[in-house]
Amino acid sequence: MQKIDLPEREDWRARAEELGFSFADMHGEPYWDESSAYAFTLEEIETGIEDPATELHAMAREAVAEIVASEELMARLAIPEAHRDLVADSWRRAEPEIYGRFDLVWDGTGTARMLEYNADTPTSLYESAAFQWGWLEEQIAAGVLPADADQFNGIHEALVERFRALFPPDTDLHFTAMAGNPEDYATVESMAWAAREAGMGAHYSDLESIGLSTGGQFLDAEDRVIGTLFKLYPWEDLLRDGFAAHLATAGCLMLEPAWKAVVSNKGLLPVLWRMFPGHPNLLPAFFEDEIAGGAPEARRAADALGRAHVRKPLFSREGAAIRIVEDGRETEASAEGGYGSHPMIVQAYHPLPEFGGFRPVLGAWIVGEACVGLGVREDRGRITQDLSRFKPHFIR
Amino acid sequence: MTTPATAARPDPAPARRRKRSRRVTLTILGAAAFALAGCREETVDAAAFPDLAACKSAAAQGGEFSALDCEVAFREAQTLHAEAAPRYDSQQVCEEQHGEGSCGTEAQATGSGGGSIFMPLIAGYLIGNMLGGARAGAAPAQPLYRTQDGRFTNAAGTATYASNSGRGQLSASQFTRPAATAGKPPMTRATPASRGGFGTSAASRPTSGG
Repeated sequence: MQKIDLPEREDWRARAEELGFSFADMHGEPYWDESSAYAFTLEEIETGIEDPATELHAMAREAVAEIVASEELMARLAIPEAHRDLVADSWRRAEPEIYGRFDLVWDGTGTARMLEYNADTPTSLYESAAFQWGWLEEQIAAGVLPADADQFNGIHEALVERFRALFPPDTDLHFTAMAGNPEDYATVESMAWAAREAGMGAHYSDLESIGLSTGGQFLDAEDRVIGTLFKLYPWEDLLRDGFAAHLATAGCLMLEPAWKAVVSNKGLLPVLWRMFPGHPNLLPAFFEDEIAGGAPEARRAADALGRAHVRKPLFSREGAAIRIVEDGRETEASAEGGYGSHPMIVQAYHPLPEFGGFRPVLGAWIVGEACVGLGVREDRGRITQDLSRFKPHFIR
Repeated sequence: MTTPATAARPDPAPARRRKRSRRVTLTILGAAAFALAGCREETVDAAAFPDLAACKSAAAQGGEFSALDCEVAFREAQTLHAEAAPRYDSQQVCEEQHGEGSCGTEAQATGSGGGSIFMPLIAGYLIGNMLGGARAGAAPAQPLYRTQDGRFTNAAGTATYASNSGRGQLSASQFTRPAATAGKPPMTRATPASRGGFGTSAASRPTSGG
């Protein structure tokens, strides 16, 4: 794993604009940054990232079975009591998952460690699956990269196959996201194109425009009944919204399914560490109150966490409300972003490696139950936030 | 349907297992354009008749339906009427929906069932010209009922028509087979009771993703 300086495509900004990638620059900073790229060997990709991420997803599924069967864990993961049956039933009915993204820390040596699993509303799908792919093809065509260069990026094809496997041809699927956010929207549209390529009807409505019929079914912006809804909107919010009471009775298949509420939840991390202690791709993690409570767990935790740990809320987006504590002292903290009062977990601190002044996080994309691609984001700071940059990668 | 910019390239490295897609959709159209790019809703040439005689009379004058079409459609609509007409537990509730004198008992309407269930009388029928056969879940002949305000509706209550006589283009979704239960199949129209019940928990946050 190396970071290599490369000439940028001269016209990439015009190309981005033409394709509708309107957030290639954000907050006055580049978001898409192709002035350098990460290079991997095939061996690094397959045994360092792909196989571990596929295994981590299987472990997360095992954890779901444990969590939905345990009132204690459902409570610790802050699943509202009124909706615990909805979450458990969606798992028992084997409602299908579409996608997710593990955030892994790795420098190419030793084993990749899981920081967290964005299993419910991962974004950056467009730049990972499409724009990054276009970069590779054009850099090969320009002779900047060798003809046999490749990329770990079967994301789009895997999504097409996933939709094809799950739904009969011509099934009408609805897609939704909150209005006014081009980043979220790009992820939803990428998903919807994959569905159309698989032969589905894909219809988009803003989340806020979704209605409830007199018969208790969800309606799109044109008053049509929604049978299946892909929502780029997290379960922890869905379960607390005004329509939450209708989720169980609307006869609508939700994607991602309700059981992702216990996967895309930092509470998954201590549950995984309980179930798979010492697993080479996990970092030790505990519920904060478990440690504060004293007892044997506290000592076990103190030993496992070592001299530094990270404190994270159960739910947070884009690195909000995260604190790094070293030798008992807080050494780094991100803005709370409204998450400060949430229940917390602690995870052993594993510093991100540094490549040319930036720290990469490896986004390992899961489609269905397998890892199918990679998207790298890097940040100057030790906490990856919304000013991070997306970096393309290639396989030598 | 609009075709987005896609790109495909031959495999340059057949020697080893390829790790990337062969073809990817590169374009983001934006919410408004994407909705428009959706395959446009199918339409169906349709005609409404108050009764079988009116249909046959139109057929005799060279309408798009034959007298046989009329017979078949009328029978189908009668069957759907028995299966899927709205049912009420009193004459009064039924008449509140369909107008005075527009209701009867289930026993009168279908020749079976009880005298304590009430259904609207059939007030016309709608025939769709489904070339190439009806899609699964579609019914090309639909019974019509009066509404309390003098218009007409279908068995599922998903559409309202000003008249029970006339012709025009209707959305194919209006020929969806009405469900016997309360739940309606996807893509049928329904009446919204409220909107805005999603999204409130995140009102203060710029993005839902991560």
